Amino acid sequence: MDREHPNISGSGDFLSLLREQGHLPQPTPLRSAGAPAVEITEGTTILALRFRDGVMVAGDRRATMGNTVVYDRADKVLSIDDCSIMALSGSPANAYEIARMLEISFQHYRRSQLQEMSLDGKLRTLSRLIRENLPMALQGIGAVVPIYATYEEPRADTYARPVGGTGEGAGKIYFYDVLGAQFESVDFCTTGSGSPIIRGALYYLDRWGSLPLAKMTREESLELILKMLETAAEFDTATGGYKPISRIFPQIMSITASGITNVPEIELELLYQAHLPGGSPEGNSEGKGE
Amino acid sequence: MLDEPYRWVEAIRNRREYLEDQLKSASPVVACGYENGLLLLTTTPGQRKLFEIYNQVAFAAIGHPADIEKLRKAIIDIAHVEAFNFSARDVSLQRLVNFGLGPLMKTAFDEIFRSPYIARVLVAELDPRESRETFYTIDADGSFGNTAGAAVLGGTAQSADAALARQRKEVADSSGGDLADIPLEQALQQAMECWAVARLTAAAGEENGEIDAGRIKACIQEMGGGGQRVEAAVLDRSLPKKTKFRLLSAEELETALAPYHP
Repeated sequence: MDREHPNISGSGDFLSLLREQGHLPQPTPLRSAGAPAVEITEGTTILALRFRDGVMVAGDRRATMGNTVVYDRADKVLSIDDCSIMALSGSPANAYEIARMLEISFQHYRRSQLQEMSLDGKLRTLSRLIRENLPMALQGIGAVVPIYATYEEPRADTYARPVGGTGEGAGKIYFYDVLGAQFESVDFCTTGSGSPIIRGALYYLDRWGSLPLAKMTREESLELILKMLETAAEFDTATGGYKPISRIFPQIMSITASGITNVPEIELELLYQAHLPGGSPEGNSEGKGE
Repeated sequence: MLDEPYRWVEAIRNRREYLEDQLKSASPVVACGYENGLLLLTTTPGQRKLFEIYNQVAFAAIGHPADIEKLRKAIIDIAHVEAFNFSARDVSLQRLVNFGLGPLMKTAFDEIFRSPYIARVLVAELDPRESRETFYTIDADGSFGNTAGAAVLGGTAQSADAALARQRKEVADSSGGDLADIPLEQALQQAMECWAVARLTAAAGEENGEIDAGRIKACIQEMGGGGQRVEAAVLDRSLPKKTKFRLLSAEELETALAPYHP
């Protein structure tokens, strides 16, 4: 620490601290546009829905590189602190790094400044991280487009309500573009290669279904998520489905007033048996006789 | 001045005297183990004195508030950069002290044309799985040491030693030598009495009067009347979160320390 010039401006800013000490990856120089020289691991379906008690965030487990399935148990939904979850689509290497920086930034801020970072501050930090990643994204080798979901207790001193929402619960969903622009979703959000397939279905159900998504119970919401992920897996090769034989389940977390919970695999298995008999199209052949 | 060795030694001696003088009236900090982890206790006229550094690391200091803040920021920065570059499990107190705070305070102390950190620091670490606690104290000159089971920061070295000796004896008497088995309430009472012993010893200076139960109780009551409040925090292994640090609420302190109220 420089004793002559105590660093006030950077106080509580973990990213500046990393840059100062040379730990932040340097933006790589841009190459001319063209096909990336290396094949990149990517492809995903992630989605976040508001439901009666908060927000559900879910993702499939498949990581692909071109036509190859690299890994079938990737964790794409990560808890960042006690009340926020980030779900990743895009290049996992960069996405995990961003999640890690985000988690430690929030901890560093809370401990050094003796107060929790505001929601706006947290969203801004993520925005900055995505921007830092821009050179990689422009080269086509590391775009990261996360969904950020959080639960904010409605406070008595503000009239803050989820945009366009019903006011029930205080779950909030944000998504980002490659440049770091931040948008708030009303009731649902989905990104990744499988998202165009289910986006329309979600809109249809939210608008003309028997119940708006945000009014669903936990069970109804979970059932819908599993069906959506199966739909995405049916039409998108980069999205993995439910495979009973190897016991691969999607990853689902919920944020409610009581915090973050990971939906256990045993519960998902029962839901599959009850609402999606037969398993997934690709799981079907392997899963016969289960 | 530096070209004359005698002058340099004299300057260092003056610094030590200056620091002793600045720190001697500070309210002591007592740290000790209890059944779920470890406890830190001190008194303060208002501002916080016990802090969280990392998931399993807590920090307390006596001295100049601005210096304490600088040291606290330094150790938080080091811990989080370590966690980022390696992993959360690689943040260890031994490394934070040996390569972080210790050298930092020593360097400041040696630069005799500038002010040293006017502070003494106590840091404590909890092993999240096993019943093991580590305590380090770092003096204003950067010398550090670790003690098992308990640690005390006092206005004077003598007062810290007296309180630590008493804490050891209390623990040995009450739980047959097993450091980790005292419930929180009992640990709070013992820590409060130790705090009083350190306070009384520092106030007595050279004269070494007998410190009995009556004087301890009077000292604790006097503190309450003097606009000071008790502050205590735990690193609690049983907390179902990554972060094990928790400040104790006023109600918890009230209940545990009721026997000392007039």
